[in-house]
Formats: sequence, structure tokens, C-alpha cells
Amino acid sequence: MTHSADDLGRLLQAAQRGDGAAYAELLAAVTPRIRRIVARRRGFAGVGETEDLVQEVLLSLHAVRATYDSSRPFVPWLLAIVRHRLADGARRYARTIRREIDIDEIDVTFLEAEANEPIGALGDADALRAAVEALPDGQRQAIELLKLKELSLKEAAEITGTSVGALKVATHRAMAALRQALAPKRG
Amino acid sequence: MKTEELIDRLARDLAPVRPLPRPERRAAAWLVGAGLYVGLFVVLTRSGGGPTTDLEALLPQLAALVACVVAAGAAFASVVPGYSRAVLAWPLIAGVVWLGMLAIGATWSSGAIAAASRHEWACVLLIVVGAAPLLAALVAMLRRGAPFRPAVTAGLAALAVGALASAGACFWRPHADDAVTLVWHGGAIAIVMAVCLLGARWLLGPSRLSGTGREVR
Repeated sequence: MTHSADDLGRLLQAAQRGDGAAYAELLAAVTPRIRRIVARRRGFAGVGETEDLVQEVLLSLHAVRATYDSSRPFVPWLLAIVRHRLADGARRYARTIRREIDIDEIDVTFLEAEANEPIGALGDADALRAAVEALPDGQRQAIELLKLKELSLKEAAEITGTSVGALKVATHRAMAALRQALAPKRG
Repeated sequence: MKTEELIDRLARDLAPVRPLPRPERRAAAWLVGAGLYVGLFVVLTRSGGGPTTDLEALLPQLAALVACVVAAGAAFASVVPGYSRAVLAWPLIAGVVWLGMLAIGATWSSGAIAAASRHEWACVLLIVVGAAPLLAALVAMLRRGAPFRPAVTAGLAALAVGALASAGACFWRPHADDAVTLVWHGGAIAIVMAVCLLGARWLLGPSRLSGTGREVR
């Protein structure tokens, strides 16, 4: 349901008298408008940040609802609150940016040589796919369900109709076969 | 928290509030109280002979009172969202007219520098300390509004209080020269203005406007 500016003013007057239902209706009616303004003015902000600003505007509206004068138009009153909150948000953003220091990503190293290999050097994806396809059916299914789809043992057991123990064995054997198949290629 | 939840919570915990009267009415209320305070103080403690009837000497005081009235009106308007920003220009004009009158009077007066070098600490004390209750009352009233721009509101409040206190000081202890008024009263008002501007956020507490502080009732 759409509300005219006069309707919104009347709802706020009722809210000033303590009518919670009218207040909820008012806030629900103005929230999409506030959201549109915030999104337009802060196009670079993500959904979460936009929603934070919308909530700040609603909290401000709540805090200063006594300043609304029913003889004056509602919309300029609301827009002034939105404008001030957006300006505050922009100032806060500028302060945050000033305090932040850009740093390079820190390299993490581990004792195991394999763990220090860059992602691109982990292996040949095509060779891995071929090795998985070369596995016996039971082992391939176990790898696909447990390692690729990351299902639990119980879920995978229900799908395959085998026991959890059998799945564990199949996975262990598949991993050993894959390790053996890929080892020569990694040098 | 989702926005819908926030709306539910705000509506559920809603307390009735008394709408603030229009800025003009609130300014008038403060001006009446402040005028009585200054008037009584001047009448009860006045020194330096009877009141002057010289129009030339009264004009700067009249300009100060006009600056006080428009600055008070603008200060109350500045805490109402959506109020026209044009009202903020009037105090600036009135302040320039008032100080301009004093400056012109000081330029024309004989021995202006000598007059300005006279110590008028009593006036400074009167404006800075004597006007403190006026400022406290004005700030308390302004805090009930929405001081989204605390520095602007505080500056207007300082001008209103300073101009009224300066006019009161001129009636309390008439000065022979505008240069004295310009230097000593101007200096005292500058102190009040600096205190207000530096402490604007503390005085007016705009943090509550984000819903994190005291709610306007």
C-alpha cells in the first residue's frame, strides 16, 4: 500500500501519541524510500553497508520524532534526517580510510615442503580428473561424495547403500591410488 | 539485526513524546527568560549614572539585541530537521551589522586606541561568567531538538548569548567609546564562541541522534 506525504505525517503524529501500530506502518512505508536514497547516494556501498545506513536513519528518526511539527511537510523533515545521517556515514568512512594502512599479503610458510607450493603448482587438474575417472566405481563414488561434494559419511552411505566402514575403506584405497597415479607427474 | 526486526522493536517499545513547539515560540520563551535575567541584573547592580538617551550610543545596543533575537531563532530552527537553511543567514547579517556599527563608531571616535587600551575586565567577566546561566538554559533547550550540526547550533547559541550579554553590559556600565565595546566585548564574545565551538559535540550530544544515547522525550 502506498502512502501520501500527508498520510505519513498523520502516522507520525499518531506515533508521537504512542500508537505503535501507526509507527510500525510509518517505518515500513518509509524504509524502502530511505533504502533507495541510500543506495543511490552510496552506490559503492555493499548491501550490508546500505542496510546499516538505513537502520541508522530509522534510529535517528526514532530519536528525534518529537521534532516533527504537524503543520510542516513530512518529506523535507525525513529527507533532512537522511541527508545528515549520510553525511555522518561519509565522514565516518573517510576517518576509517585514513586510519587503515595497506599491507602486502603476508606469506605463510609451513615446515612441509608440499604446503609451501603455490596454488597454481599443486598439480594438473586434467590429470587429477583422469585419475579419478580411472578409479574403480566404488572408490570413485566414495571420492566424489566425500571429497568433492563434501557429504558426511552417513549421507554418503545412504546414497550408495553401503556401510560407513565400507566407504571409509573405499576412500582410503582411492586416496592411495590417486597419490600413486599423480606422484610421478609432480616430480 | 534485520531492518524488519528493528522496526518491530522500535514500534513495540514506543513511548509517547510531546511534540516540540515551533522554533519561534521556543526562542521567544528563552528570550523572555534571558531578558528578565539580564534586565534584573542591570537594574539591581547598575553603576555609572542614569541610562543614556543618546540615539547614537543606543544604536549598537539595539543592533546587538537584534543579533541576539535572530541568532536565538536560528539556533532553535537549526535543531529541527528540514527547516530552511536561509534562516541561518540572518544572524550572520545581523552580527556583521552590529560589529560594523561598533567598528565605524570606534574609527570616528577620538583616541580610540587609548580608549581600547583601558582595562574592562568587569565587562569580560560579566559576559563570560554572567552569561553562563543563559547559555546553559539555551543549550538545555536546544538539546531537546535534533542538533545534527552541533557546531552551527553552538555558534548561533554563542552569538545569541554574547550579543545579549554585551548589550546588558553596555547598559550596566555605559562606555564612553565604541572602541572599548568592540575590543573588550568582542574579545569576551570570542571566548564564549570558542568555548561553544570547541565543546559543541559535548554540549549538544549529537551521538544520541543515532539512537545510541538518550532519547528525546
